[in-house]
Amino acid sequence: MRKRVGVFVCDCGTNIASVVDTEQVAEAARQIPGVVFSTTYKYMCSDPGQEMIRNAIQEHDLEQVVVASCSPRMHENTFRRAVEAGGINPYLFEQVNIREQVSWVHTDKNMATLKAIDLVRMGVNKVLHNQPLQISTIPVTKKAMVIGGGIAGMQAALDIAEAGYSVVIVEKEASIGGKMTQLDKTFPTLDCAA
Amino acid sequence: MVAAAQHPNIELITYAEVQKVAGYIGNFTVTVKKKAKYVDWDLCTGCGTCIEKCPSKKIKDEFELGMGSRTAIHKLFPQAVPGKPYIDAEHCTKLTKGKCGVCEKICPTDAIRFDDQDEYVDIDVGAIVMATGYDLFDWTEAYGEYGYGKYPDVIDSLQFERLSSSGGPTGGAIRRPSDGKEPKCVAFIKCVGSRDDTKGKSYCSRACCMYTAKHAYQVKTKIEDSEAYVFYMDVRTAGKNYEEFYQRSLDAGAKYIRGRVSKIYQRGDKLVLKTEDTLLGMPMEVEVDLVVLATAMVPAEGAKELAKTIGFSTDKDGFYQEAHPKLQPVETFAAGVYLAGTCQGPKDIPDTVAQASASAAKVLGLLTRDEYATDPMTSEVDPGKCSGCGFCVPICPYKAISLVDIEERGAEGPFTRQVAQVNASLCQGCGACLPACRTSALDLKGFTDEQLVAEVDALCL
Repeated sequence: MRKRVGVFVCDCGTNIASVVDTEQVAEAARQIPGVVFSTTYKYMCSDPGQEMIRNAIQEHDLEQVVVASCSPRMHENTFRRAVEAGGINPYLFEQVNIREQVSWVHTDKNMATLKAIDLVRMGVNKVLHNQPLQISTIPVTKKAMVIGGGIAGMQAALDIAEAGYSVVIVEKEASIGGKMTQLDKTFPTLDCAA
Repeated sequence: MVAAAQHPNIELITYAEVQKVAGYIGNFTVTVKKKAKYVDWDLCTGCGTCIEKCPSKKIKDEFELGMGSRTAIHKLFPQAVPGKPYIDAEHCTKLTKGKCGVCEKICPTDAIRFDDQDEYVDIDVGAIVMATGYDLFDWTEAYGEYGYGKYPDVIDSLQFERLSSSGGPTGGAIRRPSDGKEPKCVAFIKCVGSRDDTKGKSYCSRACCMYTAKHAYQVKTKIEDSEAYVFYMDVRTAGKNYEEFYQRSLDAGAKYIRGRVSKIYQRGDKLVLKTEDTLLGMPMEVEVDLVVLATAMVPAEGAKELAKTIGFSTDKDGFYQEAHPKLQPVETFAAGVYLAGTCQGPKDIPDTVAQASASAAKVLGLLTRDEYATDPMTSEVDPGKCSGCGFCVPICPYKAISLVDIEERGAEGPFTRQVAQVNASLCQGCGACLPACRTSALDLKGFTDEQLVAEVDALCL
C-alpha cells in the first residue's frame, strides 16, 4: 500500500487550542515519514471541517487519514463517513484523542504539545498498518419481543405495533399490567392506574 | 392494558418465561416457556364460575401482598388481561392430592385441563425490549429497628396502595391489617433501603417522595380528623407539577418532619416511633396507629439471570446496564437489545413511559431496515494456530465464540479437531478473548497485534 497520510489537527474551539499548540502539532506531523499533508482547523467535525478532509484527499491523493481531535467515542463515525465520502476505505482512518487525553488533563502547554505530537506519531504509524475492512450486512427479522408486560413493556409494544410491526409480549404473571395494576391513584394527577 | 391486548399487531404470551436467547441483532431466536395454566384459554370464556365454586378459598393472595385471600383457580385480579383464570398447581387439591375437581365438573365449556404441561415455543424476532420492572426491597431482612416485619401494622408502600385502592382487600377504606380499625394517625418513613449504604442501597429510588406525598394526602382526605406524619431526609420533587403536588399534600395538613426514625415498638395497640426533628434539634416520640415504609426499588427477581441468558451486563445494584449513561440510555451492550423502565434503574411512571417510547423508536430504527450493517472490527481466529483449548469461549461476554469441528489431514490420514470460531454478528469487538488465547490465534481486526506494536514503535524507536 502506498503511504500518503493526511493529518488533520482540530482546535475544538479553545478546548484543545488553549493548551495544545495545534499549529506546532501540524508542523511536526509533516516531518513524520509517510505524511504528505497536514493542517489545522477550528472545528474539524463541522461541515467545513469535513469538507476540508474530503478536498484534501482529492487534492493530495491521500491514502490514509489521521484526525487529532476528541475521543473516538464522540466523532469516530463522523470522520469515518467523511473519509469514505472522500473516496478512502473508512477503516484507513485513525482518530487521535488530544482533547480528553491531552488538553483537558494537562496544564503545561509545552509538554502537552509534545505529548500531542507523540500521540499523532503513534496514530500515523498505526494507520500505515491498517487494512481496508468491509462492512457486511445481515438480514433483519421484522418482529420484536418485549419481555415484561408492565407499563414500560406495554408502552414500547404499543408504539412498535402502531408503526405496523408485530410484537410479542412475554409476561411471567398470568395478566399484563405489572406493578401499575396494584397501584391506587397516581401522582401528580391522581388518576387511576388501570 | 386493554389497548395492548386488543392491538392486532400485539401477541400476548402471559404466565410465561424466557428460557433461552440464541442469535444476534436482527436474528434472535427466543425460547419461551409457557407455564401450565390447567385451563384451555381458547375454550374458556372467563365467566368465573370456577372461581366462585373452588373450595380452596383461604390461599394468601400474592396480588394483595398477603392482605387478602384467593382461590386455587383464580385470576391475578378481577380486571386481569387476558381475563381468564388459571390454576395455582401448588395449592389445588386435585393437582396435589387428586381430590376435588369441582371446576372441571362445573365448567360450562369444558376448558379445565388437569393434564396440562409446560410448553416450550421458539419465536424468531429481530429486536428485544427488556421491561422486567422492579421489586420492592425486602426491609424485613434488614431493618431490625422497625421490627423485622413482626408488627402487622408496619407495612410497605405497595401494601398501602392496596389498602387505598377501591379494588383492594378493604374496598379502598384505609384499615389496619391487625384489627381492621381505621387508623387515625399514620406515619410514613421515607428512604427505607434507599440512600442507606449500611442496610440497603446507595441510590435514591426517585418515586418514593412523590408517592409518599400522595399517601399522606390520601390519609388526610380519606380519614376524618386524621394525622399524617412524614419522616424524611430530603424532599425531592424534581418533575413537572411535582412540587405543586407536594405543596397540596402540605396544604391538606401532612406534617413533614426531617429525621430518621431510629426505633419502632408496640405500646398497647399503638406503635411508638422514636426519632429526632433535626430542624429543631430535638428528640421526639410519636404514637401512631399505622406505619408505612417507602421501601427502595430493586431489580425484579430473576432479572440478573435473564441478563446473563441474553448476554448483556448489569450494574453494581443488578439493574440493567445502559450502553452509555447519557448518549445511549436505552441501548445495552448486546446489539438489538433495548431497555425500558425500571429494569434500567429506579424511575417514576412518566420517565418509564418516555423511556419505553425511546426504546420503541430504537427498535423501529432497526425493523424498518431490510439489512443491518455490522461493524467489521471483530475478532477472528487463525485456525492454523488455534489449539482448540476453548479458553476464549466462556470469556466472551457476547457468546460470540464457539468451538467447531474442522477436517485436517495428518500423517495417518484425515482427522477432525476442534477450533474456535467467532460469529461476527455477535462479536462487539471488545477484545476480551485476545489475552485468553495462548497461541495468539485470535486477533482483532482494526486492532491487530501488528497495528498496536506499530503504535508503540512510533514512541520507542
